[in-house]
Amino acid sequence: MGPAEWVGDNGKDRGSDMKKGTGGYRGVDSALADFIQLVGKAIAGGVAASLFFALCALGLATSAGAQTRPNDAKTGTLLFRAGPDGAFQPAPKVETDVTIHVTGLIARTRVAQTFHNPGTATVEGVYVFPLPENAAVDRLRLRVGERIIEGQVREKEAARREYAQAKAEGRKASLVEQQRPNLFTNAVANIGAGEFVRVVIEYQQSLAFEGGEYRLRFPLAITPRYVPAGGGLPEEPKTVEPLVAAGLKADDAEPLLHPHYVPASAGAANPVSIGVVIDSPVPLAKVTSSYQDAWVEKDSATRTVLYLQKEQVDADRDFELVFAPRPGEAPVAGAWSERVGDTDYALLMVVPPAPAAGKAAARLPRETVFVIDTSGSMQGRSIVQAKEALATGLSTLTQADRFNLVEFNSVTRTLWPAAMPVTESNLALAREWVGRLKADGGTEMAPALAFALGSDAAPGFLRQVVFITDGAVGNEDQLFKLIATKLGSTRLFTVGIGSAPNSHFMTKAAQFGRGTFTYIGDTAEVGTKMGALFAKIESPVLKDVQVRWADGTAVETFPPRVPDLYLGEPLVVAAAAPAIKGTIVVSGLRGNEPWSVALTPAASDRRTGVGALWARAKIASLMDDLRLGADEAQVRPAVLKVALDHHLVSRYTSLVAVDVTPTVAPGASATALVPASAPHGAGELPQTDAETTLHLLLGLLALVAAGTVAWIGRAAVPAERKVP
Amino acid sequence: MSAHPVTGPSSFARVGRVLPAESIDDAAPPAVPRRARWSLVVAGLLVVLAAWQLGAAGWVHAKALLAQHLIAESWKSVKAGGVRKPWPWADTRPVARLTVASRGVDLFVLSGASGQSLAFGPGHVDGTALPGSGGNSVIVAHRDTHFAFLRDLDPDAEIAVEDAKGRVTRYRVRETAILDKRETRVLDAADSPQLTLITCWPFDAVAPGTPLRYVVIADRVA
Repeated sequence: MGPAEWVGDNGKDRGSDMKKGTGGYRGVDSALADFIQLVGKAIAGGVAASLFFALCALGLATSAGAQTRPNDAKTGTLLFRAGPDGAFQPAPKVETDVTIHVTGLIARTRVAQTFHNPGTATVEGVYVFPLPENAAVDRLRLRVGERIIEGQVREKEAARREYAQAKAEGRKASLVEQQRPNLFTNAVANIGAGEFVRVVIEYQQSLAFEGGEYRLRFPLAITPRYVPAGGGLPEEPKTVEPLVAAGLKADDAEPLLHPHYVPASAGAANPVSIGVVIDSPVPLAKVTSSYQDAWVEKDSATRTVLYLQKEQVDADRDFELVFAPRPGEAPVAGAWSERVGDTDYALLMVVPPAPAAGKAAARLPRETVFVIDTSGSMQGRSIVQAKEALATGLSTLTQADRFNLVEFNSVTRTLWPAAMPVTESNLALAREWVGRLKADGGTEMAPALAFALGSDAAPGFLRQVVFITDGAVGNEDQLFKLIATKLGSTRLFTVGIGSAPNSHFMTKAAQFGRGTFTYIGDTAEVGTKMGALFAKIESPVLKDVQVRWADGTAVETFPPRVPDLYLGEPLVVAAAAPAIKGTIVVSGLRGNEPWSVALTPAASDRRTGVGALWARAKIASLMDDLRLGADEAQVRPAVLKVALDHHLVSRYTSLVAVDVTPTVAPGASATALVPASAPHGAGELPQTDAETTLHLLLGLLALVAAGTVAWIGRAAVPAERKVP
Repeated sequence: MSAHPVTGPSSFARVGRVLPAESIDDAAPPAVPRRARWSLVVAGLLVVLAAWQLGAAGWVHAKALLAQHLIAESWKSVKAGGVRKPWPWADTRPVARLTVASRGVDLFVLSGASGQSLAFGPGHVDGTALPGSGGNSVIVAHRDTHFAFLRDLDPDAEIAVEDAKGRVTRYRVRETAILDKRETRVLDAADSPQLTLITCWPFDAVAPGTPLRYVVIADRVA
């Protein structure tokens, strides 16, 4: 109605002005003047019509308003229906305080979530939140008033039953479940009106150490993940055409609980504060937060503290901490151990030195296939970063190499059916192709991966796939299986883009693809990160890596097979044995020469949490077996045993904390998903306008205007004839 | 010379124009006045514009109506276990039939909620439960064609959905809401069987691309 009134007002004014201005003219200008006058009259006529339609529309809108009940809900208010009486309640809110304690390669994180129920009825709050993909979640505490209830690890179904019973009896309870290895839910039952309930979750993780820098990522947002419907693996990948598929079904993908996003207009949803304490025996050269401004203070010679205030962190992009010892003081090897029960656990880290000049394996010409995700979730800044990363990648190619480009969203398109030599004209063609890419549609990743991994390298070429995506998919396991079966001699390097990429998918895909994962969180990083990636993928620094004990003790190590190590990457292995003692020998092929190093863990390197890391690595390895086709009937009991022994949340186990005494009246309480901040460029519901209202209105207006003009034209005839 | 008797006023005078006496000295032919000519051109252009706009609207409605008839044939084949496409170049297929007896609505639901398939019928959102099966199945359609009836839907209306196996599942409306388009939680899986119908809101918006969605959630009753 607004636009109609606007046209009306202007049209009226213009019409009357024109009439005045063109009063007495005849001759050459008269035709034009007449025309303008007629247009003015037509517009004036249109005013009447538009006012009429506006009134009609107002009438219709009012009658529609009378029919829909919760229409008074504003975009910014999030309501849910509590109970059968249909009263609407505001959704509960969660404040998060994160404390991370880093010692060497190991970090212990405490995530305190405070649930607040601003409504007037008892509710159950369900909060979907991400954690690092290698987090070993092993502790849950529920705080009710002055009491603290320690959570217990239970088989998933048993935990659900225990929680449901407590919920029905009006007791407070908290249930932490794993949806994906990096996506969890925390359900808190019986939050009374106006009440605060605090839940503390703790986990253990190992840091990434690469190129002399430690890196720790705490994910804060969840990019909505795309679960493809039908489809799966194509038999014979074709280019250009949408790849019709048969084989895997989307039913294989576990259902996902999507977070409930706060509309952009509502501002910060769930405030987060982050504090990091870094204990380092060697002085640190740098401590930075990559994407948020943080306070950094030196507490003592060995302790550095970094923190981010609640007001400044909105949970819409990940937090990344980077710190580095002074050059020359970076560790080249390390070993930490813990004794739990009657078992010794150890975590080993070795940074293999780069091959000496001249001893490095000769650089083979490369056949590089760049795959870029152009799905809807990449819209906005992500696609800009991705295109820039692609352009940087193209510039690293040399004349001896071959390359091809693949883009995918709902369909897969390739630049050429097969890789082409690097020539000026081919590069120009590729750059133009990249420039035209737009982000829209679904994330059908399987056909693109199948195409990129489907063909073998030409003899004498090293085949590499550089896969640029935000990994916003929910059918991770299908894709891992696809990568593992199709890989051949190709290596897959994943490049994570956007404010909250699915790093579980990215790291695992790189692991199955025997390559590496690079995360680019900011456009400013594209050049350096892509440069570093291409420098290191020239060739692995250490291949055929073996870990063994000098005295021949049988030790269970994870990952069971150590991947090839690229420049700057450390070897990280978790080991367990009844008694770990003596020297550990790590050997491999460095460049083209044999290389080995011996390590002896000292008593001073005892560190709690090493056992949990080992258990987490073992669960990850068992779940990998499952992805590669192992029988779930065998994997499940094995995972259950490790998870229950080590008190860990896994696909089959959950942590549950239940209060002993009821604090609210028993009865059915409503459940509300706690709203979360959407990452930049989050998913949207489909657009469903067929635009007929606009066409209809314009058409009728034009018709009315035509009639008016014709009528005015006829009325004008007698006036014309009076002219001598 | 004339052999024919003159029986009345000349036939010439009868067929020709009888002009008033004072205008006979007007030598020039009676031209169509300039202004009238202009108005005809403008009116003509406006009629063309009107035809175009109305045609565009009519085309959308015609497509929406006609496609449903073509899909009806395809649906018969799908129910018989076949895979006949509604039309040879169709990139979608019917997955369910949605009826609302109280509104006289009978629609074939297509697979996928892309812009292309929504022109022909309501679309079942990929990745959500299939209608009739457990969980949350989500169907979207245009607010001005197939789902225009949602605005008049009774608060406790019954919606029936027939799946490809011929089983009919009945749902009863539990709630309706107007949500921001970013609230994808309505697509989430649900424990109990439910049907979620989504269309753009407001129903009468003139400009396309509104950020709001009208959502109807119905629970299974049988």
